[in-house]
Amino acid sequence: MIRNYIVVAWRNIRKHLFHALLNITGLSFGLGFTLLIAAFVWSEYTVNSDIKNLSNQYIVQSNWKNPDMGLELTTIGPLVKELKIQYPSLVKNYYRWDGVTSNVSSGNKVFREGLQIGDSSFLFMYGFTLVYGNLHTALSEPFSVVISEEKAMKYFGRTNVVGEMLTIESFSNSKHGFVVTGILKNRESNSITKLNRENDNQIFIPASSATYFSRSLDSWNNPYIVGMLELQNGVKPSDLTRPMQLLLDKNAPPDIAKNMQPYLVPLKNYYLQQNNGLAGKMIITVSCIAFFILLMAMINFINISIGKASSRIKEIGVRKVMGGMRKQIIFQFLTEYVLLALLATIFSFVIFISARSYISDVLGRNIPMLSAFPAYYFIFPLLLAVLTGILSGIYPAFALSGIRTTDSVKGKLQSVQANVHLRRVLAGLQFFTATVVLAGALIISKQVALFFSKDLGYDKDYVVSVQLPRDWSDAGIRRMESYRDEFSRMTQVKAASLNWTVPDGIGDGSTMLFTDGQEQTQAAPYESVIADKNYLAVFNIPLKAGRNFDHHSDSNSVLINEHAVQSLGLTSNEAAIGKRLYYEPGSALTVIGVIGDFHFGSMKETIKPMVLSNVHLDKIYRLMCFKLRPGNIAASMQAIEKKWNTLMPGSSFEYLFMDESLQRLYKTEIQLKKASQVATILALVIVVLGIIGLVSLSIQKRMKEIGIRKILGASVTHIAFLFLKDFLPAVLISVVMAIPVSWYLMHQWLNSYAYRVSITATPFMVTIFALGLLTVMLILLQVVSNTLRNPVTDLKSE
Amino acid sequence: MIQLEKISKWYNTNGARNFVLKDIHLDIEEGAFLSIMGPSGSGKSTLLNIIGMLDTSDEGNYRFFGESVFDLKEKKRTELYKKNIGYIFQAYHLIDELTVYENIETPLLYQDVKGSERKAMVADMLDRFNMVGKKDLFPSQLSGGQQQLVGIARALIAKPKLLLADEPTGNLNSKQGEEIMELFKKINTEDKITIIQVTHSEKNAAYGDRIIDLLDGRIQQNIQ
Repeated sequence: MIRNYIVVAWRNIRKHLFHALLNITGLSFGLGFTLLIAAFVWSEYTVNSDIKNLSNQYIVQSNWKNPDMGLELTTIGPLVKELKIQYPSLVKNYYRWDGVTSNVSSGNKVFREGLQIGDSSFLFMYGFTLVYGNLHTALSEPFSVVISEEKAMKYFGRTNVVGEMLTIESFSNSKHGFVVTGILKNRESNSITKLNRENDNQIFIPASSATYFSRSLDSWNNPYIVGMLELQNGVKPSDLTRPMQLLLDKNAPPDIAKNMQPYLVPLKNYYLQQNNGLAGKMIITVSCIAFFILLMAMINFINISIGKASSRIKEIGVRKVMGGMRKQIIFQFLTEYVLLALLATIFSFVIFISARSYISDVLGRNIPMLSAFPAYYFIFPLLLAVLTGILSGIYPAFALSGIRTTDSVKGKLQSVQANVHLRRVLAGLQFFTATVVLAGALIISKQVALFFSKDLGYDKDYVVSVQLPRDWSDAGIRRMESYRDEFSRMTQVKAASLNWTVPDGIGDGSTMLFTDGQEQTQAAPYESVIADKNYLAVFNIPLKAGRNFDHHSDSNSVLINEHAVQSLGLTSNEAAIGKRLYYEPGSALTVIGVIGDFHFGSMKETIKPMVLSNVHLDKIYRLMCFKLRPGNIAASMQAIEKKWNTLMPGSSFEYLFMDESLQRLYKTEIQLKKASQVATILALVIVVLGIIGLVSLSIQKRMKEIGIRKILGASVTHIAFLFLKDFLPAVLISVVMAIPVSWYLMHQWLNSYAYRVSITATPFMVTIFALGLLTVMLILLQVVSNTLRNPVTDLKSE
Repeated sequence: MIQLEKISKWYNTNGARNFVLKDIHLDIEEGAFLSIMGPSGSGKSTLLNIIGMLDTSDEGNYRFFGESVFDLKEKKRTELYKKNIGYIFQAYHLIDELTVYENIETPLLYQDVKGSERKAMVADMLDRFNMVGKKDLFPSQLSGGQQQLVGIARALIAKPKLLLADEPTGNLNSKQGEEIMELFKKINTEDKITIIQVTHSEKNAAYGDRIIDLLDGRIQQNIQ
């Protein structure tokens, strides 16, 4: 019996190939996209999942009374170590690391790399494996280094490189060889080797070499060390609250002990929770998008199936006359739709495979291959297919099999009206979703455009930053300044600046400053930017009052922004000139100028008071920034590189245009923008398939009517109008109903930005117009192509 | 075999009853060959559908082998119907997506006949109707007469006791029609299957051993 059903189903698919293809295509797009998103979500959830003894693994985070005083991400190095020493019954193991960036070279290959200087417990605490090298001794000697397979390939072109040498620069311009003692096997994403996107470190150096980089993991003054703990079985994170506070009170400087509260976050859900649950939010957002796309695809499938089912009504009648029970007929229809949905599932796997790398790119995460999934994972798409098949089969199966046999044999369909209403509602739902997605995508794009607009407060065009080798001595800084001046004289360069950071949100943190008449306890946080006199010229930041840095005798002079002027309670920019600011009593900084406000970090945050200090004050630098003259940018970059290599031979030349820096800053938003665009395209494809399906079925059914009307003298326009009248109101109603929903969702999203575009009528008008026009065109196209023939043939058919 | 008592069927228009059938009394013996005649709209097909259990009346009683058909539950009625009745239509009503073989086989599928038995039964039927060579063709590849033969084969496959035919020759030319009527005669006499046919044609009606004439839902004439 079932064989008979399948045979009939298959022959029906072949007979109505066009509609079957519309149906299968729509559904497989929806399913394919959903599978990709599900794979993405799955891989996000499995971050850290293969870490050994995961339920006991924690990272120590810091709660600062004032969030601008320190990083939440890090803690004090000796804290976790002391916990293990003093409370061995609570703490089984610890791992701390300090992240630095330096030039790493092998032969003539020089790159800037993130280095993770940390305890040797790293290798055995988390169940990592080495492809080559000894797990227990690899990090026990100073000047040894463990690298990932990827880095081994990058520097040596092979992975069996134990015993090879990597040369790493310190921050005082010296170089030292590090022996490769281990090659870390590539692993799924985890928070140990990749704490966050800025810390995708693949080079691991033992703590015993920290002094070479002038760093220390054991200083109670340094709250910038990543600390991780493995607790003993049965120990709760809250059990450590008191011990940690006790240790802080005893050892740490009072301003840290008073203001910092360390707490433990399980590594199990750390990844999804970090950055205010950024990853979790992204998962929810894309899951919602996928859900709605799938919903649209399913509606499409159901809609076309219902439309087509009424052409089967005679067959149902005949089957009943031949003794078919209603139950059997329902079962036949369900089988048929499930089969169709299963076909779509097979195609969706094809879509998964072919779109995987593209979607990986959009979501900024490598979506695993199908083969990476456990077998049970495949039950879900199959279940989904069966569910879709049953959902779409229910109406035709029950409604049509319930029609009186005598009517259905004659092909009479009494419930036509209900059928049409149902299908209009379903089509309306599709347009509703398409509107939300399309209008949403337009608004997201507009907001993302704002991030790259002229409203940044500085000019990002033609600005490029290059990482410098470090020599933070007085002589080193003076040498860099002379290089800077040489670069400035190049014809391709408008201005060059030596500084710590570009406005990409990654500063050196904030500084607590107070002014005359205030106590140190009243100190307020300032965004700190370390730069030179050319910084304003490179970024075209306006000077509102006072003067710029002049020469290096200005080392105790600072520039502040207009927000800082306000927060100092001053009424005019001029009044700020000559004001003194203090880190601590006695160390006065004099304000010599006021600069315009500009967006230093993400537009999620308001512009903060800023203090721009001289490189000679802090004696640190990181970047050389160039403002290029418009023209052949590639040639300019070549010229700069050539100069760079003559001035600083052996250093890497890795540059980043300001646009790219901003792209990194707004990575999530750009991902969302791309995801919403993909979703829009899918939504439109499904809507188009849906309209084509509905209209063509409707035309098929009304062929006789069209024939009669044509004989009575109706023009193609008249007939087209018939169908427009049928579909357009439903489309417009659902589109209009979707607008408040879309508005609300976008309003919520924009609310998380301190600086945002206003939601105007334009994106909604564009959406209404686009969807309306699309519908009209598709209807016209089909009506015209279907009605340009002799009406007599249509009349004969019944 | 069939007893119809006081069968009436109507529909309401503006509150007035419009009778399709009115007070039909009819006894049909097993082995009969009955022709129902009458002009369009006289209620022939409705009567046939009621006898065929595809339709019900608004009033009256219908006994089929002593069972009161209208009082049966749907499942029971379908059961009774499946076992005893074969149906033939004017427009053949074959399933377009199935081959000749599969069309004939379908009623057996609905009666849960085993595979091997089914094969034998269909083969026998194909042989009897000389359609072995056409078994893999689809209905659209056959002439009207051939399609009706398939329709008859399909109606007979489950060995019904009653064959109902609604204008079986209506879409055929006269020669094809004659062949079908000869076949009916043969089925009736040799296989002892009761046949009730609806027809417009006096000539076809004459193949039967009894004719009833319907006019406006009433029996005008009952010719034995």
